[in-house]
Amino acid sequence: MTGLLVIIPALNEQDTVADVVEAAAVDLDAQVLVIDDGSHDATVERAREAGATVLSHPFNLGVGAALRTGFRYAQANGFHTAVQVDADGQHETTEAKRLVEVVDAGADIAVGSRFEQGYETGRLRRTSMRLLSRLVSRHVGVKLTDTTSGFRAFGATAIDHFADAYPRAYLSDTVEALMLAADWHLTVEEIPVRMRPRQGGQPSAGSLKSAYHLIRLSLVIALHRFRRPRAGGSS
Amino acid sequence: MSQLEIFVILVALGVLVFVIEVVRRRRLSEGYALLWIAVGVAGVVLGLSRHLIDRISGSVGVSYGANLVFAGVFLFLLVVCINLSMHVSKLEDEVATLAEELALVNGRLDALAEGAVDLREHDDRDERPLV
Repeated sequence: MTGLLVIIPALNEQDTVADVVEAAAVDLDAQVLVIDDGSHDATVERAREAGATVLSHPFNLGVGAALRTGFRYAQANGFHTAVQVDADGQHETTEAKRLVEVVDAGADIAVGSRFEQGYETGRLRRTSMRLLSRLVSRHVGVKLTDTTSGFRAFGATAIDHFADAYPRAYLSDTVEALMLAADWHLTVEEIPVRMRPRQGGQPSAGSLKSAYHLIRLSLVIALHRFRRPRAGGSS
Repeated sequence: MSQLEIFVILVALGVLVFVIEVVRRRRLSEGYALLWIAVGVAGVVLGLSRHLIDRISGSVGVSYGANLVFAGVFLFLLVVCINLSMHVSKLEDEVATLAEELALVNGRLDALAEGAVDLREHDDRDERPLV
């Protein structure tokens, strides 16, 4: 036991999850936890065969809830570092290792940024992501370029806080989490990471839906400073 | 500006302030808040645009502008109600599923406590902490 937990939220990823689990277990020498968020395919069986511990949500709750389950597991079982890896094979374990090193060196949260390696998105999406980065960077006090990246590593303090109060809603789970981290005086560090193209699965959210989520997120950011803190801030 | 207009706008602003306050206290999720903020803003706009309402209702053949507003608001609230009923139905299903899962987990725990069942008989997972 190395004290490192690899958290893999998975929803219907039967084609890729086994490879991801095996690579993570071998390359990172860590326990691998797959949070099955209500899959209807063979994700659970594949992940177990590959050697992961699997926790299943009885129905779909979203990535944020899956991560919170992961943080609670990490906290209950005494892991002092956790790294979040996608089940679709986009995240390379060598890069995950670099994120863990950043946390080992003293950061509470390490964020892997997709931008410096030529991450390609539509113009609208890129513009809104840039605006988001500016707003969040100002609140966090650190220059961040990729606030919606789901490739992150967490230290013990971050695990404790997020086990209590990780935001559940889409986009809040990445963006608002960083703002909460700043409220709790956690240190956030961003490093550029390489990403592979998706090996399987579907990209999330159509354009009308993402517009709604962006507006919702704007409200979250605008009100953040004035809101009653989420539970977990006091511990 | 007439007294009525001022009254309508004050009510709408009151709704806005109330909604933002409950979001601030985290007693309303942002998604629903967005809906009610839109309602508050619409209230202010409608309060300020009586002539526009009259003109629109004239062109669609409604003789009295307020009736058009009533009909529109009624329809809108109906849609919101149906939507909320759908959400409640989904929540009921999820609570039932949760209770079922809990019953199954408790059953397995009881059996385990009596030594009747080894967890690994159910599926051949690796040794892992019980949480």
